[in-house]
Parts: sequence; structure tokens; C-alpha cells
Amino acid sequence: MLLNGRKQSMLTIGKLAALAQTTPDALRFYEREGYRLYDAEAARRIRFIKQAQHCGFTLAEIHALLDLRATDAACCGDMRKRAIEKKLQLESRIKALKAMSDALGRLIADCNQERYPLDACPILAALESAELTASNGAR
Amino acid sequence: MQIELFYSPGCTQCDGARTQLKAAALQRFPQVQWCECNVLEALDRAVELGVLSLPALAVNGDLLFPKLPTPQQLCAALEPLARDEC
Repeated sequence: MLLNGRKQSMLTIGKLAALAQTTPDALRFYEREGYRLYDAEAARRIRFIKQAQHCGFTLAEIHALLDLRATDAACCGDMRKRAIEKKLQLESRIKALKAMSDALGRLIADCNQERYPLDACPILAALESAELTASNGAR
Repeated sequence: MQIELFYSPGCTQCDGARTQLKAAALQRFPQVQWCECNVLEALDRAVELGVLSLPALAVNGDLLFPKLPTPQQLCAALEPLARDEC
């Protein structure tokens, strides 16, 4: 597998993982393959994937970003548009999570007596009521 | 009728489409209030309306077009709303 002419420029998965500050398992997950050799560009690519994941992009979206990076006709504006759309998605999820947290907060405030029997628990009663479903179900 | 068009600044692709849409809508429905929103300056409003991709277009506070319509599609959607307002 190690060809003399290419040996110097190739990395094992362990060396690549160290260079990209990740684990060999993570690389195998990305590639969905077993043992293979990588060139130095792979380290740059893996760092790109990890950074993009930290910004909330899914692997499928990152695949599209990598394709975009390799497209001659693409420009910075294309990348910026995707970043803005990802931010919109994240803000939307934050808003939904905040609504969930607020709903739980209201339930907790309603149940200020921990010694109620279970069948008198206001949280259980509220979760079973149509009102809560109607006010939060559409989010 | 109020139209809010959310766009990403610097997107040359949408610039032409925006101009065309605005001209078509205002020509057919002069009463339309046309508002173009830089999404970075109106992020909360965009999130409130459910905008997830750009450009997107809301009419009277409803996100009718998550992606830009053609001028014909927009006018067809505005027609019944304009009738209701009369």
C-alpha cells in the first residue's frame, strides 16, 4: 500500500487525526471506510469539517460547502448567504427551545407544593390538558 | 397590503429578481407597501416569521413565499388579498 514515491507526502489516519486535532474514529466516521492513506490536504479538509460542525452545519450541508469551495464560479457572497441561512435556522431553534423552557417554567411555578399526591400533580394535569397542547403544540 | 422581502446583502443573484418583483407588484397593486429588509438588520422579525432561507417574502405578516416567487406567482397570491381589502 505504501508506494515509495508517495510515502513522504502521505499520512496515516492517526497522524492526520493528530494534525486535525480529532480522533481516528471521527475520521472513520467521516469517511465511512477502514484503513487508508491521506494526503496533507486532507488535514485542511478535516479542520474545515470540524469548524463547520461547530457552527451548526450538518455533514450533508458541509458536503455542499466543500463542493462550493471547489466551484470556480462561486464567490464569497454564496458562502455568506449559507452562513446567514444557518444563523436563521439556529435562531429559530433557539426561539423554539426558549418557548419550551418558558412552558416548563410555567408548569414548575404552578406546582409549588411537592407533597401533592401524584393524581393531584398540577404538572401532570397540565400536560394532559387540551389547553397546553393548544398553546404549545404548534411550535 | 404590506410586503416584506427579506434578502441577504451582497447577493447579486437576488438583486435583479427583487427589482422585477417590486415593479410587477406595484404596477398591478399600487396600494402595496413594499419593504425590503436586510435580514441581518431584521433578524428577530425574520425569525418571528419563520424565514429559514433567502430571499423570502412575507405578505401582511405571513411568510407566503419561503423562496422568491415569479412576478406572476406573486400577483396571483396578492389578487384575493387585494379584493378582501376593497
